Amino acid sequence: MAVSKDDLRDLFAGTLAWDKTKEIISGPKDDDRFEAVLELLQEQVRWPERILLPLREHLYIVESGGSRIVKCDCGHEFGDWRRNWKMSAAIIARDDIASMEEIYPGLRRPDPNLCEIREFICPGCGVLLDVESVPVGYPVVFDALPDIDVFYDDWLGRPLEDHQDCEDRTAEIISKWAKPLL
Amino acid sequence: MGKDASLDPQGAQIVACDAGGTMTDVIVVDRAGSFAIGKAATTPDSQATGFCAALDDAFGPRASTDPATNVSIAGVEACVYSGTSMLNALLTGTGRRVGVITHRGEEDIFLHQRSRQTWAGYGVADLLHHVAHHRPRPLVSRRLTKGVTGRIDMFGVEAIPLYEDEVRNAVAELLAEDVEAIAVCLMFSYLNPAHEERLAELAREVIAGAGDPPVTLHLSHELAPIIREQGRLNTVVLHAAAAEPCRRQLLGIEGALRNRDYRHPLQVLLSHGGVADIRYQRLHESTFSGPIGGLLGARYLSSVTGIDNWVCADMGGTSFDVGLIMGGEPMLDREVTVTRRLFNLPTLVMDTVGAGMGMYVSIDPLTQRITLGPGSAGAEPGPVCYDLGNETPTVMDCALVTGLLNPHNYLGGKVELNTSMALKALREKCADPLGVDVHYLAEGVLDLVTSSLREHIRTVLGTRGFSAADYSLLAYGGAGPLLMAGYSSGLPFRGVATLPSAAGFSAFGAAAVDLTHRYQKSSGIIVPDGADDDWKVGMGELVNLGWDELEERARADLSSEGLDWAAASVQPLAYVRYGGQMEDLEVPSPVPRIGSAADMDALIAAFEALYERIYAEVAKHPQAGYHILELGLTVTIPKVKPRLTCHPLQDPTPTIRAVKGQRDVYHGRRWRPAPLYDMDALQPGNEVEGMAVIEAPATTLFVPPGHRVRMDEWSMLWLTSGDDQQ
Repeated sequence: MAVSKDDLRDLFAGTLAWDKTKEIISGPKDDDRFEAVLELLQEQVRWPERILLPLREHLYIVESGGSRIVKCDCGHEFGDWRRNWKMSAAIIARDDIASMEEIYPGLRRPDPNLCEIREFICPGCGVLLDVESVPVGYPVVFDALPDIDVFYDDWLGRPLEDHQDCEDRTAEIISKWAKPLL
Repeated sequence: MGKDASLDPQGAQIVACDAGGTMTDVIVVDRAGSFAIGKAATTPDSQATGFCAALDDAFGPRASTDPATNVSIAGVEACVYSGTSMLNALLTGTGRRVGVITHRGEEDIFLHQRSRQTWAGYGVADLLHHVAHHRPRPLVSRRLTKGVTGRIDMFGVEAIPLYEDEVRNAVAELLAEDVEAIAVCLMFSYLNPAHEERLAELAREVIAGAGDPPVTLHLSHELAPIIREQGRLNTVVLHAAAAEPCRRQLLGIEGALRNRDYRHPLQVLLSHGGVADIRYQRLHESTFSGPIGGLLGARYLSSVTGIDNWVCADMGGTSFDVGLIMGGEPMLDREVTVTRRLFNLPTLVMDTVGAGMGMYVSIDPLTQRITLGPGSAGAEPGPVCYDLGNETPTVMDCALVTGLLNPHNYLGGKVELNTSMALKALREKCADPLGVDVHYLAEGVLDLVTSSLREHIRTVLGTRGFSAADYSLLAYGGAGPLLMAGYSSGLPFRGVATLPSAAGFSAFGAAAVDLTHRYQKSSGIIVPDGADDDWKVGMGELVNLGWDELEERARADLSSEGLDWAAASVQPLAYVRYGGQMEDLEVPSPVPRIGSAADMDALIAAFEALYERIYAEVAKHPQAGYHILELGLTVTIPKVKPRLTCHPLQDPTPTIRAVKGQRDVYHGRRWRPAPLYDMDALQPGNEVEGMAVIEAPATTLFVPPGHRVRMDEWSMLWLTSGDDQQ
């Protein structure tokens, strides 16, 4: 079904009427829906880099000087898309009773011996980007590493100019933090 | 049933109407059992106009062209209306402005709702995807929903007294909001209505004190004294908002009929299958009566022909509805989902899928597969071939381009269908993207449709543990006969039948019912396994109290409608389940009242016999005891019904009058010549070998190769394939 740009804008803003939203959810997608969404998002950000893929609310994978990086809509850059952007975010780790009580008072508070709550904040604008609640000591979760070239080649049928391998490079950051064994 | 052409206008005896969202169908039946069907556009603002136009259409050329000299219907003994006007009033917000009073703490009931309403009425795809789940729009705004303190507990005992000042304030606040009706729904009022009754007294005082504005009060224990608050409250709001505006419409129709010398009250079809005078108090029971007419027609067929197990399949423009007649009776659901909301309204069960002739056909851009729906072209703009602006092909366009439909005979030739537009749309939107021939594609779409309909029938039967081998299929609705060979194929039905009146069968069914009222109330009666006689008698007294209360209401209703109680037959009902079960069965009591332990044993035996018939003997579980959580009562007064006539059988070869010619039909991936027959000219006993097309003004029956159709002595058309000739 054809969705107008105005409807898409309202959909992203959360102001589209439910009946229309439901129609979009349940209907088949337009051939050019992805392009229409990219065009809309590109208009809404204030920086010039080309958006390749929206990653999540506020975050995009963009083409920047021959490399692909994760960028916040405020303009803050998180680095190569193959490295978990959370590693470059400001993090509030709630791992004790006092910090958990700030948001989950009383009986709603989880047991800090069983889990910790991590809030990932954009260092550029301070927006809350993600929250994860995981067992104590659990590695930071890498939510998604999209294979952008396969998507552009096989699904969209219009390959990007250069191909980049798609493998998790988060360890490159961690290795810099690791203390030498000797 | 007789033939359209033979209807005697002066002998017209019954008029029944099925007013849908777009079309109003009227069927007129004369004393000999002959009938005529008329169609006209529904006129929502004044339904009398659409009704009368359809009535004139039914009389056709017999009616005078001068409106001042309409055909008199002085001899008509019953006019029955069924339709969706009340539902439309509720949904479009054209009903009255309703305020609600419920418990303090329950004021958000329309916002939080029962979670089932977030997906009720969805198809499978939306059901599986949580992102599509959503609460429907509140029936009443939070601003008009007031809470008062007070509580009756689950045993019917007052736990917190009613705070009368809060009631007065709530009523005053609602009056200040200019409400036209106040709906009251308090918990457990079906066990003890004292708080609702007191609330009503106080409300009347406040209304009187405010200068007596025309505000009506509606109490849940009077309208729907059934457990489960959400459905009960929705029902009371439905009644408060829509019943009176709807009654005005019905009185308008009755007035228009009186201008044509009709001398009796107009009757309305109720969703549980009875009919009542339009002055009937609980008029909201007519809300969902639209689709059930066909089931009632099938029940009537059962009583006449002796075939008592039917799968009824109604296919129209937008949906495919399947219902069952089991042992001569349709199944009843006491909580119905309509427009994604739950209502405590006893309603005949029809399982619906959105699959009609107007369903859109497209190609999924990602998977390159044919997609049916979602959505339908409706009556306007309709399929592409209507040439009213729609460019998305539909199932009907496929039927047209394959030669199944006659472009010059649609609705008896009133609508000329544009085959070339249908071909163009199908070619451009579907066949070319797939690189296939357009006729091959159209046949493939029809195969897809029939297989999805077949699966729906299989599901309706299978999920209830039934087998098609125990049933005959009855196909009706304008599109029913066209695809019935397809969707019945592979299912081991005893027989597959349709009728010349298929297109107006729902209206026919509405004419074929007795005047029936149904009453229900919740109860809490338990008979443990091995209960002694004293216990059974004690519980029996509680049952009798419930039945007495319902009978008292029934007498009052009949009296207010001017009906004679002595003419009524009364059937007490009990809703019985084994202890711990979630569902119960409606058991007609074999005794009028429970006067002894033996009477209670007889009621339980009736339940177990029914349970065994529906499930299996091994499923019985008497060790868990028996729970009767609801009691009911039906009151029936016989009313004149259409007469089905049995005709002598003629020669198998149709007369020359029935042969209309020949048309090429694309079937089995090639074009073949198919003889055409006029359905109205076929005689009982006639047989037609496939491949053939049998046309009537409002429907078309396709007989595929290897199949045969035979008209029986009741004028029913039975379809058999080469290997199951009956």
